[in-house]
Amino acid sequence: MSALVFGGSAGLGRALARTLAARGESLVLVARDARDLAAEAAHLRTLYGVAVEWMALDAADPQATEKLAGVPGAAAIRRLIFPVGTGNDSDDGLLPPATVAALVNANLTSVMATVSLFLPQLLAANVGTIVGIGSVAALRGRNRNVTYAAAKRGLESYFESLRHRTAATGVRVQFYRLGYVDTQLSFGRRLPLPKASPQAIARTIAGNLGRDIGCRTLPAFWRPISWALRALPWRLYRRLNF
Amino acid sequence: MARDGTASWPAGPSETHSLVTMDGGVRVAGATVQRPDRYAYFRERDGAMPAIPRGAGFSFAAASFGAGATTIDLRSFDRVLGFDARSGQVEVEAGATLGALFEFLAARGFYLPIQPGHHRITVGGCIAANVHGKNPARDGTFVSQVESVRVFHPRHGEIDLTPQKESTLFAATCGGLGLTGIIVSARLRAQRLPGAAFHVVHRQVATIAEGASVLREQSSRSDLMYAWFDCSRRGQAFERGMVVTGEFVSEPSDPVAFKLSPSRFSSQSRARLPFSLLNPISLRLMNAIYFRLLRRSGTANVALAEALYPTRANELYLSLFGRRGFHECQAIVPYDQVAEFVGQLRDQATRTGVRITLAVAKPFDGESELIRFDGRGTSLAIEIPRATAASQLMREIDRLVVALGGRPNVIKDSRLPRDIFEATYPECDRFRTVLRQWDPKRLFRSELSDRLGL
Repeated sequence: MSALVFGGSAGLGRALARTLAARGESLVLVARDARDLAAEAAHLRTLYGVAVEWMALDAADPQATEKLAGVPGAAAIRRLIFPVGTGNDSDDGLLPPATVAALVNANLTSVMATVSLFLPQLLAANVGTIVGIGSVAALRGRNRNVTYAAAKRGLESYFESLRHRTAATGVRVQFYRLGYVDTQLSFGRRLPLPKASPQAIARTIAGNLGRDIGCRTLPAFWRPISWALRALPWRLYRRLNF
Repeated sequence: MARDGTASWPAGPSETHSLVTMDGGVRVAGATVQRPDRYAYFRERDGAMPAIPRGAGFSFAAASFGAGATTIDLRSFDRVLGFDARSGQVEVEAGATLGALFEFLAARGFYLPIQPGHHRITVGGCIAANVHGKNPARDGTFVSQVESVRVFHPRHGEIDLTPQKESTLFAATCGGLGLTGIIVSARLRAQRLPGAAFHVVHRQVATIAEGASVLREQSSRSDLMYAWFDCSRRGQAFERGMVVTGEFVSEPSDPVAFKLSPSRFSSQSRARLPFSLLNPISLRLMNAIYFRLLRRSGTANVALAEALYPTRANELYLSLFGRRGFHECQAIVPYDQVAEFVGQLRDQATRTGVRITLAVAKPFDGESELIRFDGRGTSLAIEIPRATAASQLMREIDRLVVALGGRPNVIKDSRLPRDIFEATYPECDRFRTVLRQWDPKRLFRSELSDRLGL
């Protein structure tokens, strides 16, 4: 049994891969850059003695995910974890079509494509966990992160469907709405609330694997904020600039 | 990511930080910091801007910021890339910490004999500062356990350096203060771990010169050695001290699992206290207690991790200096000049009214190449609280070091003037030449390199 970590070479994905490897789990890492992947795979093998395979592919190209069927050890994959996604500084609703497509693909389409590739084998084994990673940015649409938030909201809907689809099976589907995490994505940004460490988030996610928890917001202090944001009537919400 | 798309280097998201040296002497309020975590960052490019790599940021001098350079925090490159259990060779990325490497190696029956005393210091930092360990006279300095180094420079791309291949650049990089480029990874030679503890012996000595000669005598058979002196008193008791030597307790060396305690220490957290708690009274009290503790321990077995990384005590001690900080001067003084050095130091300390909080000696027996801190003699590290009179004493010590043929450690003193550096490092001009041939635009720079004219 092994876990596929999509986005496993840096940030939260790296922390997740390390947490799982430390628990003795075999891994398949997927990310854009072969050298990053090779280095992380070498580290995990050397430190924890686990089997680590990897494949370099660009999440902006969902069709490329088909290649994952050929990754060594693909048949043993029982866990699919998606700490993958990317933002764009000029994502204000006026991005050119190719950029919009790439953003939606990286955050949503490639995840769906990868799940559909492996879901049959999880269902056949009647075991496994699929973990989607969303963002508090998708709680309410706003004047920035327009495409990113739309893709992440779409992802949340997709994971709800997936959970419904697998409800009668042994496959667990989980979704995390994450606040700010201290990764390259948030580095250099002025943020109104503190960033969580990727290691802390990874420990929680790894600890929940296999449980039927549905959707969770992390870190926990975002929960009341999410409720309040959602409850805010449009008349007030439109005045917010954040 | 869209933010990485610019043509110049270094490119990527940046933050503005206030950075300060560990000794509190140099502070840059608006330092631009990048924290790359992908290899794509190390791509050959034109139009590069000044930059300087940074590890844990524990240097006493401003080696990883300043001079308008973008500080590049390498700590996300922290991986162990390979390990050969027969030879003990380990390949690591530059941001790997000594502690993580120690936990990894000890569990496999190996360790690095040469390393400084805090487990969060990075391998890249150790190479760039060519640090020393517990017995430099016998073991040499960090460079002697480096097999190869991979360096990135935007003009040249990545290049592997060894003592055989690109030997000049290898020599300039090990101890080159990060000025040849970014150390990306390195191959180090770890040694078989002889045991999980040191058998430590404490010997009381009356003078620093006596301590220095005991260190010299014992250096061939000790795995760990230093001498601590209480210089907080006036008169006869000025230099009383304790020589500490340790040897591995030789047990059948089963692999040992160590888990180091986490530390959040930084040059910022060190300076949290708004004022210094080290006044003449507290200092005498503290030193008297410490002296008695050492004397009472006599001989004892000390666990390896504790002996290698006495972090708790050091962190607390350095924090007592408060926001204003301290001065350290570490200098290798020729063996036959130690007594003269100490005598004049005592006179100057008395004259300027400065209390020396700490003096630590270690034996050295190597050659200084380029700008590496090495030589033959006794290294004396002296710490004093930062104050006007203290700067005066530091200038006197500078003169003394030059007059007696000593050599100061540039990484330990954030104020060391260029003329003193030039007078004590005969190969500094050769280092400058090597650097300019490799990098005519002198892309990698820091407050330290600007101050020393490198």
